Amino acid sequence: MITTYLFFGFALLAVLGALGLIIFKHPMNGAMSFVMTLISMAGLYALLSAKLIFAIQLIVYAGAIMSLILFIIMFLNIQEKDLPLDPNRWFYLAGGIIVVAPIAGLLIKISKSLPATEVTVFEDGFGGVKEVGQLLFSQWLLPFEIVSILLLVALVGAVVLAGKREVN
Amino acid sequence: MVSHYLSLSILLFCLGILGVVSRRNVFIVFMSIELMLNAANLGFVALSRLHVNMDGHVLALMVMAVAAAEAALALAVIILLHKHKGNLDTNIFSLLKG
Repeated sequence: MITTYLFFGFALLAVLGALGLIIFKHPMNGAMSFVMTLISMAGLYALLSAKLIFAIQLIVYAGAIMSLILFIIMFLNIQEKDLPLDPNRWFYLAGGIIVVAPIAGLLIKISKSLPATEVTVFEDGFGGVKEVGQLLFSQWLLPFEIVSILLLVALVGAVVLAGKREVN
Repeated sequence: MVSHYLSLSILLFCLGILGVVSRRNVFIVFMSIELMLNAANLGFVALSRLHVNMDGHVLALMVMAVAAAEAALALAVIILLHKHKGNLDTNIFSLLKG
């Protein structure tokens, strides 16, 4: 029973954070409200007994990636006058809702047809570091290596792009 | 119920699409893309809870690694564009327009 209340609390926080992200004008406010979404999604992962994903969501997403984004926003020193004007954003928002809402309704209707299993939190043996690690390093070894190459390429690319000096 | 989690994931994905469509600030667009990746992750984890099978967790890990790589590259590109144009408007960045 308590998991249902927790789910609705986290879901409300996540949706409010996402709404704040697309409504707030300054990117700093948007980033802070997106952090709220990320943290409440970590709570949802914990309710789904994905313990490793819960920890990684908090450490990598809410910790590393968001602090990098906040660092860059502060580094560029964005003032109120530097922001794009967005004169017809409500127009685009209404158009987007009209396009997206039927698709979302259809997909939600499809997801309702899944078997209605009650989500209970597993004590152990599911979603921990040991189980996911064993799966990752046995069946998913090749994709794991490819992802490591992707991260290396991204690292080199970021250094090449951002470390470029102006030649006068 | 797992379908509630999937509905939430669909809702968050649609909010991400709306953010990409309606805003012109590069940072908001970038964070909306991150929001869509997160919504996909929630779908993976919810379905892997439904089938009591941990492949979805591994896929969510892969998506997080791709999101980290994307964040590093996108922020480098944003810094370069801000250096060149001194602006954050996505409509200004139309260098490839013919």
